[in-house]
Amino acid sequence: MTESRRENRVMVELIKVGRFYPPDIEALTEVSLSVSRGEMLFLTGKSGAGKTTLLRLLCKIELPDKGLVEIDGMDLGKLSRHKIQQLRRRIGMAYQDFKLLPERTVARNIALAMEVTYQKKSFIRRQTKTLLDRLGLKSKVHARTADLSRGEQQRVSIARALANNPDLILADEPTGNLDAESTCRVMELFDEHRRRGATILIATHDSSIYADTDYRVLELKDGRIVDTKENHGTTGEQE
Amino acid sequence: MNFLFAVLGQTIRNLFRTWNSQFLTLVTITLSVLIFAFFSLIYTNLLNVGKQLGDDLRLIAYLDEEPVPALQEEYRRKILKFDAVDKIVFVSSKEAYQRFKKQLGTDRDVLTDMPQDFLPPSIEVYPVRSLDSLTRIKRFSDYLQTLPGVLKVQYGREWIERFYSFVQLMRIVVILSGTLLIMTTTFTVAHTIRLTLVSRAEELELLRLLGASGTYIRMPYFLEGGLQGLMGSACGLAALYILFNWIELQFTGSAMFGIFPFTFFPLPIIGTIIGLSTLLCAAGSFSSTRKIVQV
Repeated sequence: MTESRRENRVMVELIKVGRFYPPDIEALTEVSLSVSRGEMLFLTGKSGAGKTTLLRLLCKIELPDKGLVEIDGMDLGKLSRHKIQQLRRRIGMAYQDFKLLPERTVARNIALAMEVTYQKKSFIRRQTKTLLDRLGLKSKVHARTADLSRGEQQRVSIARALANNPDLILADEPTGNLDAESTCRVMELFDEHRRRGATILIATHDSSIYADTDYRVLELKDGRIVDTKENHGTTGEQE
Repeated sequence: MNFLFAVLGQTIRNLFRTWNSQFLTLVTITLSVLIFAFFSLIYTNLLNVGKQLGDDLRLIAYLDEEPVPALQEEYRRKILKFDAVDKIVFVSSKEAYQRFKKQLGTDRDVLTDMPQDFLPPSIEVYPVRSLDSLTRIKRFSDYLQTLPGVLKVQYGREWIERFYSFVQLMRIVVILSGTLLIMTTTFTVAHTIRLTLVSRAEELELLRLLGASGTYIRMPYFLEGGLQGLMGSACGLAALYILFNWIELQFTGSAMFGIFPFTFFPLPIIGTIIGLSTLLCAAGSFSSTRKIVQV
């Protein structure tokens, strides 16, 4: 494989990335990581290990204090405001705190992600319905998200992250509040998107979701990558 | 097209969600436009009255003796040198007598034993018809007084001065109410939008994270401001029109209205007021949303 082809296959690249919080917290130290297009990667580690910080760096919610962060070959530090907006439309992020609008309905929360990419109304309706069906929330379409349980809110947040069929999916503890059945539904959806070609990074404590898989697992400890479980069979290969 | 639908949908949702503050802003804009338009209407009508009065406005310089043609030419040259005038008419003693006789009508008998040249000859100067001519009348009068052979200069000095003072006062009121309109519309709309932005900080944060463009985020607020300006000014002018009709109805048949017909704004002026208000409000909202597009 030539160098340029190899580069084109890389979706996420972090080189010696450092992120510090005052007064002296090292959230990430010298983190280097490369994730191929169509790969599903699990980030594990205890609370405070730096998983969420790493995901936040990838959609430029935060900036690194050191090192380089590249998405699809673009250095995030050098992107203009307009390019950042365009990039974020290609990223679907499911936040740990869900970031839902509590007074809006489930449908509105999901539609919002598609409206900012100017999707047709018919597509928005169809996609919302499909995702809610798949996540077992069909009956909640017109419910206010404030009235939902934590597990349901989490699934709405995941549905919104997947709504635009993004190239990069970042999920922060996506199954933290889910029962086994819902977890299974979510992982099936993620896997479908991976097969479609999406790159997926999942930060999780839940070892059950990656224990019996071939996907790569990175363990973070005190802001450093300390362990990697590699499986070359599924890293970046689209089916 | 999808962009348009998305932005319009967002604008309509915003309006419904914050209808109470929107309503208060609308009332404020309506009142501001009403105040401004009310004084403007009075002012423009006063200008019309001024023009109408100006049509009859003339300075009469009474002379000690009948000017010969050469002297008439000299007077004409000196007057034109001072200022542009509409017309200069030389009235001989005989012509003045005839006019007077005509004015007396059936009472003309009183002139029976009077000589036909008992009235002094005069020069009637008709200034150019504009409101500004009123301001120049006094200076013109003083100048005519300096011309050789002029005994006395007459014009309706007192009413002209009073009228001019009133027009000046109205001009100040219009300028002040116009400033008030600009300030209230811009600041009220900007403030309402700012409050809305604060109350929707969570949603705006989410929109930024979802990659919404600056246009997508700002446009609904921009439209919201413009719509407030459009509706507020239209309501203000409609209220003024109702008030105008009511006043007209109350004074139907009055001598004052007969002499000086009071008219409402013509369509281009209505369009200008509505257009400017819309623009001001849109500008107000645009300025408030500058910071929210930071990624």
